[in-house]
Amino acid sequence: MSTLLPIALITYKEGIRNKAFFGVSLVALLLLCAGALISIMVPQEMGKAAVDMALSVISFSGLLVVFFVGINLMAKDLDRRTIYMVLSRPISRSQYIIGKFIGMLFLIVMTMLFVSLLAIILLFLLKMGYPDRFERFSWSLVLLAAFLSTLGLVLLSSLSILFASFTSASFVTSALTVVVYIIGQSLGDMKTLVETPQSFPVGISPFIVKLVQTVYYIFPNLSLFDIKMQAAHNLSPSFSYIVWTALYGLFYTCVAITLAALIFKKKEVP
Amino acid sequence: MQRSPVVAFLIVLSLLHVIALGRATEERRLLPKADGSAYVIPGSLIKITALEFDGLASDIMFLRALLFMGSTYERKETPRVKSWEWKWFYDTLTASTDIDPYFLDPYLLGNAYLTWGGGMVNEANTLLEKGSRYRDWDWTLPLYIGFNHFYFLRQNEKASMYLMHASRRPGASPILASLAAKLAYKERKTENAVIFMQEILTRTEDEDLKKYFEMRLEYLNGVLLLEKGVSRYKAKFHKVPSNLNQLVKERILMALPADPYGGTYYVDSKGIVKSTSELQLMPQ
Repeated sequence: MSTLLPIALITYKEGIRNKAFFGVSLVALLLLCAGALISIMVPQEMGKAAVDMALSVISFSGLLVVFFVGINLMAKDLDRRTIYMVLSRPISRSQYIIGKFIGMLFLIVMTMLFVSLLAIILLFLLKMGYPDRFERFSWSLVLLAAFLSTLGLVLLSSLSILFASFTSASFVTSALTVVVYIIGQSLGDMKTLVETPQSFPVGISPFIVKLVQTVYYIFPNLSLFDIKMQAAHNLSPSFSYIVWTALYGLFYTCVAITLAALIFKKKEVP
Repeated sequence: MQRSPVVAFLIVLSLLHVIALGRATEERRLLPKADGSAYVIPGSLIKITALEFDGLASDIMFLRALLFMGSTYERKETPRVKSWEWKWFYDTLTASTDIDPYFLDPYLLGNAYLTWGGGMVNEANTLLEKGSRYRDWDWTLPLYIGFNHFYFLRQNEKASMYLMHASRRPGASPILASLAAKLAYKERKTENAVIFMQEILTRTEDEDLKKYFEMRLEYLNGVLLLEKGVSRYKAKFHKVPSNLNQLVKERILMALPADPYGGTYYVDSKGIVKSTSELQLMPQ
């Protein structure tokens, strides 16, 4: 633990010092203001639109941090060869990977807390201004949605570390992470869609159905962490759903980090 | 470099920018648009491509439909909305509610315009039925379906069924159950329509829709007043009045109400009160 913490702290500080972090915060603020203006245009269920916008901005900012700040933190070490400096010290490669992951975890949690705070202030102001148009609104569900979103992002960042462990260019890591994010978000809907062919305008071959069903267990199902719609309509998910989703996130993240450590151990650092 | 010429140059550039943007926007409005080709991607596909931002996609689809309807008020041609545009409007609202079936606004927007303007009562009811299925705590949606069955489709039995349905939901107005019972017995069309419309008005928040419904209520109140006058005239003279001025002449009414839509109320040979504005108001 004593060796993990310094790596985690350095990773976190590097992320915070990175100018991109402030860029992400600024983008989040602008998007939140634009979202507030758009939600005012919805005549009846303004609260629903405002929560949609706020939670989308929170997730989007987290994604920007994972894609543009987080990935660089590990890939930069490899790109710029600064990794030699770290590995020459009495630190094992697995400790390096776990330390990096914990640092990224801090960074994601801090960003999500900061952007969530901005979103909460904005929602509070909107709710004060238009109390009649926030009929079905629940603070606890908004916070729960932001929490699950954070878990999804932590899972995604663990995958980015896995990709960085076997690729040597940061670009490849970014591209793979983006692709996995897109697949992970649409996989759940895709599976439902191919399994209920009547809802799909074009016929689907049985091979595609089997393929999607197989892929479903390999790629992460990130849509499980998305309860924005339920939060917007105050439709509480069951307690067991939250527990199972959180456990799924935890298991998947652990598997990804363990694999990353194993692969990185065998990797020839150029 | 001197500062003032640069500032002056920037001011001139900004002015040119404003002019160019204004002209380009104006010209873009005149660009030929493909009629009947406005295809709407099905909601199930949008849901996949929108990734985790599907709630946002649903809001945007709804706002597109809302802004489109608003923009048609600038048009001078008749009909104001073409038939393929009505279809696009309906498809967009369907997609919006396929992505987020709990979203109330698309159902209300669809109901307000598809019925009164578009003559697509069945389509409006299909949307409302979906909303009523998902929003099972909301009594307003079955109320609207009931109204559409009663007023447009003239199916009192079905209307009564939906009103009963609405009255059983939490927070429903107590008047609904009695209205449902009344509908099941006899046809007092205008009076019931007035009660319906008053109920709908109490639940409407949007100012534009409120004005829209208030005008409709005023119109129906005018018809109701005249209908009562005509029946009193018939009871007194055992015939239908030749025109509505007879009601004022015989001191049955103090004055004739004005049609808020700019038409004139009249009575036909069967004693039914109508208005010259009615044709353009009623669905085709």
